[in-house]
Amino acid sequence: MTAGRTRAAPVTTDRPGAPRLPGSRRAGMRLVRLYATSRRIPAALTAIVASALGLRIALIGHWDSYGALQLPLVFEAAAATVIVLTAASPLGEPERITGRWLPYLRLAATLALTVAAVGALAAAGTGAHLAGGTLDVLRNLAGLTGIGLLCAATISGGLAWIGPVAYLLPGVYALYTQWHHPALTTPWLWPGRPPHDLGAAICAGLVFAAGVAVITVRGARDLPGEEA
Amino acid sequence: MTATSAPARSRPGTRHPRPAAARLLRLELRHNAMLWMMPVAVALFWFTAGRKTLASPPLWNLRVAVMQPNAVLAFASPVAGAAAWMGSRESRRRTTDLVNITARPRPARLLTTWAATTCWALVAYLACVAVVYAVTAHQATWGGPLWWPAVVSAASLAALAALGFAAGTLVPSRFTPPLAAVAAFFALGLSTQLIKGSQSYWLISPVVAGPWDLGPNPEVGTFYAYLPDLPMAQVIFLAGLTAAVLGALALPTGSGLRSLRRSAAAVTTAGLLVAGTAVALAGTGRLDAHGMIAIPALHDAASDRPLRYTPVCGHTTIPVCLHPAYASYLPATEAALAPVLGQVVGLPGAPARISQAAATYQQGPGNSVGIGMAGSPIGGTHPVFHFLLPVQLAGPVLTTSEMASQLRSATGPGIVASVTGDGPGASQAQHAVTTALLMAAGVVPSHPAAPGAPTAGNNVPPPGPGAGGERYVAPPPGSPAYAAAQRFAALPAAARRAWLTQHLAALRAGRISLRQLP
Repeated sequence: MTAGRTRAAPVTTDRPGAPRLPGSRRAGMRLVRLYATSRRIPAALTAIVASALGLRIALIGHWDSYGALQLPLVFEAAAATVIVLTAASPLGEPERITGRWLPYLRLAATLALTVAAVGALAAAGTGAHLAGGTLDVLRNLAGLTGIGLLCAATISGGLAWIGPVAYLLPGVYALYTQWHHPALTTPWLWPGRPPHDLGAAICAGLVFAAGVAVITVRGARDLPGEEA
Repeated sequence: MTATSAPARSRPGTRHPRPAAARLLRLELRHNAMLWMMPVAVALFWFTAGRKTLASPPLWNLRVAVMQPNAVLAFASPVAGAAAWMGSRESRRRTTDLVNITARPRPARLLTTWAATTCWALVAYLACVAVVYAVTAHQATWGGPLWWPAVVSAASLAALAALGFAAGTLVPSRFTPPLAAVAAFFALGLSTQLIKGSQSYWLISPVVAGPWDLGPNPEVGTFYAYLPDLPMAQVIFLAGLTAAVLGALALPTGSGLRSLRRSAAAVTTAGLLVAGTAVALAGTGRLDAHGMIAIPALHDAASDRPLRYTPVCGHTTIPVCLHPAYASYLPATEAALAPVLGQVVGLPGAPARISQAAATYQQGPGNSVGIGMAGSPIGGTHPVFHFLLPVQLAGPVLTTSEMASQLRSATGPGIVASVTGDGPGASQAQHAVTTALLMAAGVVPSHPAAPGAPTAGNNVPPPGPGAGGERYVAPPPGSPAYAAAQRFAALPAAARRAWLTQHLAALRAGRISLRQLP
């Protein structure tokens, strides 16, 4: 074990002069902060903002029809992988046994990060031609995140990215087949469907709901010997 | 890999103990993430590249051109992601200090892990290629496997593994593997956006299998040899890039002895020089007349000679002959042209044979490519009518019935016009007779094309008359020529033939007027 890489949970001490919060609220805040630190949520937020910036910069360039349609999906996949990686716990069994509030924290963190990612990517497309618009971002990101969360619960928290990354290629391919028939029209390949397609939205929503439910209740699976 | 899972030494009783490097490689192969990523990569390959490749016509050149970019894209994310995951392993498992004190230098250990990752990626890729090539070998009617596109994809996997591995080693974060995987896909999938024309440095991207925007073309490598110029430049680039990235892994302080780091610096520099040279070579490429990218410094002039082949011919009244690679299209071609050939067979000047020709290519503005046929469609003492199959032209993949329909409406009029002498500057009577024979053959000539209607080529004018690109424009209904055509077409076939036999020479010379038509 490398001593230098040991991450101790930050110990909170009241700074002199800091306003004193009621005990339970202060403990709650501390719990949220510790949870966010252990899941590297600040780093995830930074990565999401970086993805949005990348999308914004990419949208400045001139893209042909293929590129313009496929571009947002690549950045949505990047944001989704970042979100699902926060499901992995570095603490494992001890945390699961003692963490009464863990399900709520997992649910809140996942939803907050998803909302933040949708907001950041939608904002990146403001004033530029973002193929599909905000609805597309919402649907695709939710679906990709759902796939990743299911992977986190079944494979491992650290390898949860495999799902969204693997789904990226069929998603891009589904968009490609809109030109090169036969088109893939199944709603389970939602990136290939128009933004207002109800079937695709239901499929993406179902996957997201399933992913959030599983990760809320069970949490991410730990891989023995791996640091998440 | 945990330290305890590795055997400390070779098994007792082994007479010839394996070299330490081989043992290490074996261990790495057994504990490599790419092994578990293989099903994902193969599934992605099958879903995108495999199905698409095997759905295209069974022509070697076409299938390998479809397979190369799709295979690279299918494997890019899994390979880069798995390599990054392996690269960050020591940090993730907190074994950095543990392995740093082992006898084997760090670069050697890293190289072995990269090699194991690449090995599994290549195993999965080669299995996929084997299936595609085996099915194509079973279905293709001519030619043999083209290996260069497969080699480019394989070299891409090694380079992607090196890049992903370096990312994981240098930035061992939990976010690195997925971001490396997505970045690899982004860089490869959208790098082609920067290609402008055939002289572009971006042709070096391994997802480019030929002139960009021409797309996979069945014509390439059939009438003329397949040019390996661009694949060679791509392989040189990928090899240089791989060497540079792997060499760079040994550069940081603490990677080993000074001599080792000096060697690594030399390898990195050499790799960068090789990769840069390959990019420069790709920039000198140009679209040749046969639809491939020729790079002067890598070009073998012997490749410019036409390939020898024995055409496959049908049994129509006037034989229709195709290149053997297109043999599967012969029945449909014969069926499409038979009614037209029945109208002209035996007439003076009628072609003795209908023969498929090679297309010629010309770079247009931007990424557009013009496809046409060189020379006159008909010539020789025993006239041979040359034509292009619609599948030789750029455009969407055609079904057999669509191809037959295009042949009837484009090549059919060309054959009749070659007999009547119809064309620009021809007389009204020649137009009328051509139209009449087409009516009799059941080919309904189209009406004048609307302005701005798409032409056959790819943003360039269509090939010459009758070559297979453009549609014949009949006289407008209600015009005297159209009325004369209807009148002539209504005659019994024997009467038409007798009149044509007697008056065809005069008709061709423009000495027959509309009134003189029966």
